[in-house]
Parts: sequence; C-alpha cells; structure tokens
Amino acid sequence: MESCDVLIVGGGAAGIAAARAAAEHCWGRILLAERGEAPGGVLLQCAHRGFGPGLTGPEMVDELMKDFPRRVELWYNTTVLRITEEKTALLSGRGIGLRQLAFQRLILATGCRERAFGSLGIGGTRPRGIYTAGQAQALLNQKGRLPEGPVAILGSGDLGLILAGQLSEAGCSIAALVEQKAQCGGMARNRRCLEQYRIPLLCSATVSRVCGGAALEGVMIKDLDTGAERYLPCKSLLIAVGYEPERELVRGLEGAEWLQLCGNCREIHPMIESVITEGKTAGYDCVT
Amino acid sequence: MKHYDAVVIGAGVLGCFAARSLCRWKLSTLLLEGAGDVCTGITRANTAIIYPGYDNRPGSRKARMTVRANAAFPRLCEELEVPYKRCGSLMLSYGPAGDRVLGQKLAQGRENGVSDLQLISGQQAEELEPGLKKGISSALYAPGTGTVNPWQLGIAACENAVKNGCELRLNSPVTAIGRQGKDYIVETAGECFSCAVVINCAGLSADKVQELLFPPRIRIFPDGADYLVLDKNVPAPRHILFHETEEKGKGLTAVPTVEGSLLLGPSRRPLTEPYAVEQKGIEELKAQAAKLLPGLNMDMMIRSFGAVRPKPQMMELRAGEYVPTGRDLGDFPMDRPEPGFFSLIGVKTPGLTCAEELGQYLAAQAAEYLDAEPNPDFDPRRAAIPRPAALPFAERKALVEAEPNYGEVLCLCEDVSRGEIMEAIRRGAVDVEGVKRRTGAGLGRCQGGRCRLLIEALLEEYRHGKL
Ligand SMILES: Cc1cc2nc3c(=O)[nH]c(=O)nc-3n(C[C@H](O)[C@H](O)[C@H](O)COP(=O)(O)OP(=O)(O)OC[C@H]3O[C@@H](n4cnc5c(N)ncnc54)[C@H](O)[C@@H]3O)c2cc1C
Ligand SMILES: Cc1cc2nc3c(=O)[nH]c(=O)nc-3n(C[C@H](O)[C@H](O)[C@H](O)COP(=O)(O)OP(=O)(O)OC[C@H]3O[C@@H](n4cnc5c(N)ncnc54)[C@H](O)[C@@H]3O)c2cc1C
Repeated sequence: MESCDVLIVGGGAAGIAAARAAAEHCWGRILLAERGEAPGGVLLQCAHRGFGPGLTGPEMVDELMKDFPRRVELWYNTTVLRITEEKTALLSGRGIGLRQLAFQRLILATGCRERAFGSLGIGGTRPRGIYTAGQAQALLNQKGRLPEGPVAILGSGDLGLILAGQLSEAGCSIAALVEQKAQCGGMARNRRCLEQYRIPLLCSATVSRVCGGAALEGVMIKDLDTGAERYLPCKSLLIAVGYEPERELVRGLEGAEWLQLCGNCREIHPMIESVITEGKTAGYDCVT
Repeated sequence: MKHYDAVVIGAGVLGCFAARSLCRWKLSTLLLEGAGDVCTGITRANTAIIYPGYDNRPGSRKARMTVRANAAFPRLCEELEVPYKRCGSLMLSYGPAGDRVLGQKLAQGRENGVSDLQLISGQQAEELEPGLKKGISSALYAPGTGTVNPWQLGIAACENAVKNGCELRLNSPVTAIGRQGKDYIVETAGECFSCAVVINCAGLSADKVQELLFPPRIRIFPDGADYLVLDKNVPAPRHILFHETEEKGKGLTAVPTVEGSLLLGPSRRPLTEPYAVEQKGIEELKAQAAKLLPGLNMDMMIRSFGAVRPKPQMMELRAGEYVPTGRDLGDFPMDRPEPGFFSLIGVKTPGLTCAEELGQYLAAQAAEYLDAEPNPDFDPRRAAIPRPAALPFAERKALVEAEPNYGEVLCLCEDVSRGEIMEAIRRGAVDVEGVKRRTGAGLGRCQGGRCRLLIEALLEEYRHGKL
C-alpha cells in the first residue's frame, strides 16, 4: 500500500498552517488532501475584509499560501472518505481515482458544517427558497447570485450580520434579522450594517413556521416572551444559526496518539488567528 | 388524437406498479403524472414498512395481498435493484391492555398465514433490543417485517415500465375525462388521449379524478401526520418497533431505514396544510421516543416532515346531496364505476407493501377486459444507478477508473458521487429533491449543506445540454 508520514485532511486555514509547520519539522512525505479544487476552505466564500490586517478571504488565502513549501504534496479534488484504526485512509478523486494510503500521523482540518434547517424542528411546508447562510454567501461571492428578496435571516451572529450587510449592499431587501436571544449576537463591527441599511432586528424571536407551496411565501415569527405569532412575507429564508465541527471521519478514533485536530473541526473559532495557531501546533508535533 | 390501450393516471408508487404490470401484457400504455417528477405524493412521505400481514382482517384482500407481497419482496427488490432490509419487527407491550392486543394479533397473523410470528417475553425482547425502556411485559416478534425506500421503489418500477414500452408524461395533470363510444378521452392541460382502459391511481386526488366522469362514490377526507428523522449515528434499534400503548391512541413507530437513519412517527392529527409538519407533532414524537428509547439523543434530529393520510369514505346521496356514510371501507378502496375504468381511491397502509400486488391485480383486470395476451418480451429487471459506496474496494476502484465521475464525491455524509448525480439527472431528476430521491445525496446530517449548490450547478448544466 502507498504510504506517507503525515496526512493532512482539509486545505483551509488550519490545514495550510499545519502543512507549513509539518514541512519545517518532518522530513518524511507530507500530503495534504483537499476536496475542493483550490486551497482556502471557507475563506474562499468570504468577500468581507475581516481577516488579519483587513484582508478579504481570498486575499488571506494568497497570504497563507505565499512561499508554500514545495515538499508538501497537494492533492486537490481529493476527498478522504474513511480513516481506519490501522492508520489507513481511503481517498477518492477525479485525478487520483480510488486509493488506500497508510500514514504515520493524521492531522484533521476538515472545518465545520452549518447547522441545517432540518435540525431546527420548524413547522410548516418545505418549499424552495430556504438556504443556509453559507450557501447564500457562496452564491453571492462566487457566482454573483442573489437570493430572491425580501429575505429573512434566522440568527444574528457574525455570519448573519455579514450576510445581511452584503445582501443589502447588493440591493437585496432584508425583511428581518431574527434572533432568539434578547440581544444581537455578533461583533460590533459587523453590527454597523443594521443602522446603515435600516435592517429590522427582531430579538427574543424565532421562526416558528414556514409557509408556501412550491416556493416560499413567508414565515411566522414567534415572540419568545409573549408567545404571539405574526406573519412576515419573504421569498428567501437564510439559516445562520451556527456551526458544528465536522469530524465524522474520526468518529470513534478520538484520542488516538497519531491523531490531531485543528481549526474548526476541533472547536469553532470566531477568528482566523487562533485557527492558524492551532494548525501550526498540530504540524510542529509531527517531528520525525 | 393518440390512442392507447390503457392510460394510468398518477405516478405514485401505485401508478408506477400498475404501469409496470400492464407491460406484462401486449398493451400500449401511457402513464400521466401531474407533477414534474414521479413519486412526489404520499409515496414520498410514509413509514416505509413492508408489513408481514398480521394486522389485517382474516379473509380480506389486504391480508391475502400483504402476506403474499411480503414473501415476494426480496425477489421484487432484487429485480428492481432497490435496497431492502428485512430487519424484523417487535410490537411492544408494557401492560395487560397491550398484551391482549398482541395476543389477538398473533392469532390473526397465524390465521392469515404469517407462520413465523412469535410471542416473546419482555426479557427476550430486551435481549433483542437492549436500548428499550425496561418493563416490557410481552412482545410480538415478526422476523418478516422489512423496510424499503418507498420512492426509490416507485421510481424503479417506473423506470422498468418505461423500459418495457410504457410512455411517461410528466407535468400532465388530468383535467377532464369524457367518453367516445366505448373509449375514454383523457384530457391534460395541453393534450387529449383516447384509451380503452383508465387506471386511476391519482392518490389524494383519485376521488376528484373519478368524479370528472362519474358521480361520487368514495371520497377522501385527509388527515395529517408528522415524522422526524434522526442521524445514522444514533444508537438505533435493529428492529422496527411498534409501541402498543396502554392508553388510548397510537404509540410510536420507529424504523431503522435502509439509509441507516432512524425514522420516528407518524403522529396523528387533523390536516392543516398538505405535507406541512407541525411543531406540536415533532415535540410529541420526541417525547414518545425519549420514553421508549431513553438512550436516543433528540438533538440528533436532522429532518422532520409532514404527511397526508387519506381517509376514504363511502358516499351516498341523501336529499340531493352526497354525504359520507361513515362506514369504514375496511379493505383496499377500489372502484370500477363502469367497465374499463378502475380506481384506487386513497390507499393507505399497507399500500406500499402491496404496490406490486395491486398493480398485478389491476393489470389482470384490464387485460381480461381487453382480452390481451401476455407479453413474452417483458423484462422485469431494472438496473440501479451504480453505487460506488456499496462496492468492495477493488470493484469501486475499477468503476472510478472506468468513469472518473464516480470518483468525485459530492455528498460526503452519504458518500454520493458526481457520477451518480449525473445519472440521476439523466434518468429524470429535475431538481435537487429529485436527485436526493434517486441518489440519497443531501439526506444525511448536513442536509445538503455543501452538495446542494453543486447539484444545482449540474442541473443547470444539464438544462443547457452540457452534461
Ligand atoms: C462564514 C465564516 C466567516 C468567517 N469570518 C471570519 C472573519 O471575518 N475574520 C476571522 O478572523 N475569522 C473568520 N472566521 C473564522 C475562521 O477564520 C475560519 O473559520 C477559518 O478560515 C477556518 O479554517 P479551517 O481550516 O478550520 O476550516 P475550513 O476553512 O472550513 O477548511 C476545511 C477544509 O477541509 C476540506 N475538507 C473537509 N472534509 C474533507 C474531506 N473529507 N476530504 C478532503 N477535504 C475535506 C474542506 O473542503 C475545506 O477546504 C469565519 C468563519 C466562517 C465559517
Ligand atoms: C402516513 C402514511 C404512512 C404509510 N405507511 C405505510 C407503510 O409503512 N407501509 C405500507 O405498506 N404502506 C404505507 N402507507 C401507504 C402507502 O404509502 C400508500 O398506499 C402509497 O404510497 C400510495 O401511493 P399512491 O401512488 O396511491 O399515491 P401518491 O404517491 O400520492 O401518488 C399519486 C400521484 O398522482 C398524481 N396525481 C394526482 N392527481 C392527478 C391528476 N389529476 N393527473 C395526473 N396525476 C395526478 C400525484 O401528483 C401523485 O404523484 C402509508 C400511508 C400514509 C398516508
């Protein structure tokens, strides 16, 4: 079986940082598998200037990839499908076909997934027009496509806020930003868009029902203090209620001495700096 | 105007099987579906159980068909290459009222010919399913109960019908039916067809379709139901579970699906909106499940959905008005208002189990009426979309080498490749939901978080003739 010393799964900020650090300390074969066609992960869909010294996501990727060590093999379009206790990985991809690979150490940097609409237990029909915030962001920033307005956004954390700002700037009308807590969740700099574009923020409230046949027509907003419900017409509903670490690959293997997790698959990080630090630490650990 | 021997109205699982069975005869057949894809009605939202046949009144058509259908299911799913799991079921009782019901079911099942039924002790049941709430007084164990993915079964039957010569028209809701001599004239939004036989499998609208030509006889009064689905990582039971409660009302049903997730439901309630799910129903199901299976983590819910339960009732004319008689139909609600016109009006459980049986029955009736000969060229086999994830390493590797699209995994949760998705689109998926129904992409824990946009892009490419 083909083998390597360090296998890094995921080429976002954490995986890139880990690969760079590993290349400094480990003389063996280092391989980074990324299912996308380029490095960057979630950064690629972020057009806002929120990274490091005011960079956009793609600019941040360029920064991270500057003088990237040639020794690290970059396998793009490659998905890691399985990791076994015997320290083997199953990889699949357009270019590489299906391969089994033995490794000495594994660095998991698979990021996070968004909490899906389906897990929220919201009543009503299931029409088209419901997206996660990340999907809306990717559509806007990578394809230049806007969701159909007016748009309701569930969740006023940073992602909800950033999205509300970007969509408003692009001319999309925001019906409301709906937040279950008593106050808006995000950072002050991301909250500015609320006043700038006069976006209605509904706190202590949630979406209790989705209405519409084939296409979304509106949602019921429930006031969590009084229990009262009211109808809010909208054509799109964007779900921005948080993330969950993506680490299904190593379910049951947690704690193995050859395994390290870094970045959002270990825990959700609001800022990139700590992601990079964690990636570095994981990489430096791979001394040979 | 084009003429067919038989026109089937409605491409749910029952219409698809009726069409497939008609192909066993030398008959020209047209299958008309109002929606843009097949199997988007009741077939999309039900409990997915293949019943063994102890629930039905001895001597009824339901009982006979269910027992036969259950025995034939492995053969059927092999022919159509649809995953089928014969996991067995446990009907659980926690007290004297439940014990009595189980005793009756056992006797009824034996009478119906379900030979492998066993009444087991609470302790034996706990050994079979260690995760259950303690205190089981007895359980009815039915090794023959199984589960299938309902829409995949229907889609497979439809593909097989088309392969055997049946024509399929989507986006063709039937709006009028007339007569011309002995023939029927079936009208859709833009077209007219004539035919000698009409087979009405229009699901929740089957009463309305029949009433396009005939006075009301059976009408559907729908109820609602809710379901929820838990991630495949929950410690799911291995058997299908039916909880026979001591109180009035229906207990929980839990189904470990062929995909590996756990389906809970249905709740019972009046209909609000078709296929809407009610938060109250979700909460009820969660509470019931927490009681029956204390180890389940309800935060692992990945999806909930609503269903519509047809409640067919006989109608009668009273003082110039059609009113429901209140009489329960008991058996499968079939009608034949005039020669050559056959209706299934609101088939409930075990309609999925008996889909092939009902199809065969209708086709045989039609063939007899038309004096048709058997079709010696009928091929019952349908090839499934290749499924790399189900193959051993060497075979999967060979497939990926031959066709690199099968190596590009787009849905990581369910391990579904670009090749599978492209094939699903070629076979008729018109939207993300259609791809999901055919491949399972997006059914998993992230509910299409990443693959949805990729699938939308592929659908777009296909529409532009680029796939
Ligand atoms: C929407 C959003 C906005 C943010 N905005 C800011 C901001 O403004 N400022 C800031 O400082 N921080 C921000 N953060 C926080 C932080 O910067 C990012 O979360 C960080 O880029 C995460 O890096 P990561 O490598 O952990 O994850 P990701 O970037 O998600 O990388 C994971 C990579 O793993 C790949 N992958 C996953 N599974 C597999 C597999 N099985 N096989 C192969 N590859 C796989 C994925 O394709 C992906 O490329 C934001 C985070 C998010 C989610
Ligand atoms: C809640 C619930 C749970 C169930 N659980 C089980 C179970 O576990 N096991 C089991 O064996 N059975 C079960 N059943 C029964 C089984 O699901 C149904 O019998 C079966 O799915 C019915 O299929 P159908 O083809 O009649 O209906 P549908 O799938 O609704 O198909 C009817 C089709 O007709 C089309 N149509 C309607 N009007 C027109 C028109 N005018 N022109 C053209 N097309 C039209 C519709 O678009 C639709 O596609 C359950 C039923 C319900 C309601």
